[in-house]
This record gives sequence, C-alpha cells and structure tokens, in this order.
Amino acid sequence: MTSPQAELVLTLVFHDDAYLPVVSLAEGWGDAYQKKAAVVRLAKADMEKLGLKANDRVRITAPAGSVVVAARPDAAGEAGIALMASSLYTNTLAGCGTGSHVLPLRHIEGRAAVTDRDVTPVRDLVVKRDRA
Amino acid sequence: MGSRTLVCTGCGCLCDDVQVDIEGGLPGRIENACARGAAYLRAAFNARRRAGARIRGDACSPEAAIDEAARLLSRARRRLVFGLDSSTQEAQRLAVELAQKLGAVIDGASSFSWGPLIERIVGQDLPSCSLSDVKDKADLLLYWGANPTATHPRHLSRHTYYAYTEFNPAGWYPRVTLASVDVRQTELAAMSKPAFRIKPGGDRGLISGVLGESPADAQAGQLAELVRKSRFCALFCGLGLVQALDGDLDAFTRMVRMPGQSVRMAVIPMIAETNMMGLTRTLHERTSYVNSISFAGDVSGGRQFSFVEQVRQQAADCILVIGSDPFAALPQSLLAQLQGPNVSIICMDHFPTLTADAADVVVPTAVPGVESSGTLVRLDGERVALAEPVKDGPLTQEAALVRLMEKVQP
Repeated sequence: MTSPQAELVLTLVFHDDAYLPVVSLAEGWGDAYQKKAAVVRLAKADMEKLGLKANDRVRITAPAGSVVVAARPDAAGEAGIALMASSLYTNTLAGCGTGSHVLPLRHIEGRAAVTDRDVTPVRDLVVKRDRA
Repeated sequence: MGSRTLVCTGCGCLCDDVQVDIEGGLPGRIENACARGAAYLRAAFNARRRAGARIRGDACSPEAAIDEAARLLSRARRRLVFGLDSSTQEAQRLAVELAQKLGAVIDGASSFSWGPLIERIVGQDLPSCSLSDVKDKADLLLYWGANPTATHPRHLSRHTYYAYTEFNPAGWYPRVTLASVDVRQTELAAMSKPAFRIKPGGDRGLISGVLGESPADAQAGQLAELVRKSRFCALFCGLGLVQALDGDLDAFTRMVRMPGQSVRMAVIPMIAETNMMGLTRTLHERTSYVNSISFAGDVSGGRQFSFVEQVRQQAADCILVIGSDPFAALPQSLLAQLQGPNVSIICMDHFPTLTADAADVVVPTAVPGVESSGTLVRLDGERVALAEPVKDGPLTQEAALVRLMEKVQP
C-alpha cells in the first residue's frame, strides 16, 4: 500500500447548486450556507490518493486564494477534477483575470492538500468595506 | 384567506402559474413553485429577510436614504449604474434615463457572463425562438454546459422535456430526444440519451470536431449525426459553454449555422436572472450595445465600461447598484478594489444582500411580482406581464428612481 500524497493538482470546476440560493434566501450567509457551500467533491481515486475519508478537511488553493472545506467522494467523478458549488468559497479561489471576455468563474487550476484546520468560516469570506 | 396566481420572479423561467394562499398577510400553501421560487416568495413576506433603509449602517427613513443617494450621486464625477438584471422593463428604462442625465456608465451582469451570447442573439447572428415554439415541435433538446435541474428547476417540466404532450405508448418517455454536453455527471446528464461528457474546457475541441475543422473523435461524430438527423434542434446554452469558450463564439456560431436548411436550429440562453434579456434589449435598442455603455459625452460602448473593468481600474467614484448582488457573485480579489473613501456605493434592493451590507446607502424597494407589477422579458425573449401586487411594500424601484432623478444634480 502506498502512502497518501500530501497534495494533488486538480482542475476545479465550479457549478450552480439548486439549494444554495434557497438557503441564502431563507437564512442569509450563515451556518446553513457554510454547511452547503464549504464542500469539495473529489473522485474516489483522488480521495484515496490523499488518504481522505468523507468530510475530512482539505485545503483548496488557487492563484487568487485558499479555503478549507470538507471533502466528499463523488462516485461519478473523474480523477483530477474537483467539483465545488459556486459560492463565496469559489469566489475566493477565482481570480478576476485580465484579457478574458468573461470572468474565469467556471474552471480553474488549483491544488488540494489534507489539513487538520477547521472549515474556513463563511464570515471570513465576506468582503468588508470601509465606507466612504 | 385568499389564493392568488403570481408570476414567480425567482429565476429566468418566470413561471406564471404559481399559486399562493395568503393568510393574515403571510404566505400559506404555495403550489407549482420550485424550492427556489418558494424560498423567494417566503423571503418576500419575511420582514427579517427584507432590506431596510440605511445610511452608513444606521437605520433611516427611505426618504432620507434617497436624499443621501441623490447627494452622493450629485457630488460624484464618475458615476456607474450597475445591475437591473432583475428589474422590470419600466425600472430599467428609468435607470437608463438617470444614467443619461448623469452622464454615467451603465452596465449589467451580462458583461461578465452572458454578454457575448446575448449579443449574437440580439444581433440575429444566432437563431433563437420562444419556449412555446420549442414545446412539442423541437425533436432534439440539447443542453450544453447547462443543468436546469439546479438553475431553473421547472424548466424541463414547464417548458421542455416533461411538458411535451405526446408520449411513447410503451411508457412515459416524451417523443423527443434529450441530449446534453457537460463536464460532469449531472441530474440532467443521467436523463440524457446521449450524454456527452467532455473535459473542462473541451467545448472548443468538440465544436471543432463537429465542424470537421479538427480530426473528429467519436463524440464529435455522434453529436454531428444527432443534429443532422433532427428536424428542429433547440440548443439550450449554459454559462459553462460561454465560460469555456471565453466569450469567443465564432466557431460555435458556425456550428449552429452548419446543418443547413433541412434542420432548424434555435439557441436559447439559460439565463438565471429574471430580466437580463430585457435589459440587454433595452440597451441595444437605445444605444446599439447590450452592456458596458458610457453616456459621458456621446454614447460609447466597450469593455472599459464594464463593471469589472470600472472596478479594476477604480474608474467610478459613485456606484448605484440596482437589484443585483455583485458582492455575492464576483471574486473577492476584485471587490477588494472597492475599499476606501474614494468610492461610494448606493444599493437599491428588496433583500439584505452582501452588497447592501457593504453599501454606504441602502434604499429598500418592492419585490417585483409580489409588491409591484410591470413587465419582464423571459430568457427566450418573450415578454411576461407581472400580476397585480398581492401585498403592500416599500417604494417600487420605479418610484425610487423617479424620486432620485428629481433630486440629483448632474
């Protein structure tokens, strides 16, 4: 049996989720939103490579930022591809690119690494603004 | 208790058969709405989920908020009006007038999402049609980079696959082929026969293969054959496709035009916003641009006037956001440019969005379809009239914009 890898390079695919808008409409950007949004779905092969069990924490890092989320296996997932519902978590990872006609909010390159840190609180991802 | 039929303004489907029992001013049983629509309606009736008038975080009267908004807009020199993708046609027209009066830049969310596709549909480079044209007539429903089960939960049952009146006699399957192209296994892909699964960013290669401009793989050949054998292919495009092509739709347009006269092709964008199509059409009629327009001096358009570029270049000193939540939709790294005393933000919305939290001034407005009437344009370009309001609410966006227009000094 081989030792788990510390890190995996992945393509992060961001997609719409039916229930995140329902949660944010009902309760705003609180615990229920965090529970739904702070999740990455990985192919079973990638879960095994990282030595992850369902709901273990994983740090996802992309050029624009980094978040800690819960890992869940995706039975139909393809190795090398990680799925995340579009949310404040993916907004942290996505850059605002230059030269593109549309913002790169659908798929970007990133890395996944096992961590013992807690899930990034959603309140940390809300952009606070010093008012004029 | 009274039962009312509403047009749901929870997403771009604008379902006009939603029934709400109203008991003591609160919604009881809601019929025909999806989970998103029901949550939207319940939030509209929930005082805790409604925006309140605020000036720099402190509660105030709506009139005071409008006065402060007018003061900030009058003081500013580089104004940006943004959003309106969920506003009525009537509110959109007033916002365009306000932008003209102020010599402001005006933009909607299509500039960083659907813009390239809408531009081609509005400009008639790409053929489109109404959803009522599709139902029972299209024999191939092809969803590309779209998953309506997540974005438009009633799309299949109200307008396409499950709405077909003819079924195969042996069972429950409508007499239409449902196919999809996606990078992942979705609920729709599980229903599709065939479902084409591609790599992220593989859309361009698949299109190129269908066009015969690169060696066709098995999937490209099968897709080309599927379309060629159909009489009427309704192609529902998701943001996944537009993003994957980075807005360059030349090859896609060639592919749609390729089948020739024997196959009718129609492209319908799966827009989630309730009236993005209406805004782009209104702007196009008035300016020939669908978004990213400056009214400073002569009318001009271009990417430098998009919300993203305006923020990135810190070009605006006062931003009026109407019925949109860029603070929930855009990258944090971009929004970080909105710090500091050099820019003020005014938010006009019915819900307490993250943009409202960040704004200097919040003007609460009525929920279209619940507290105000008006007209919207559905994702397929059909005009939909909202029902009469079912409850009292704050000022309509239209009324708030009229008052703002009276008070601002260019």
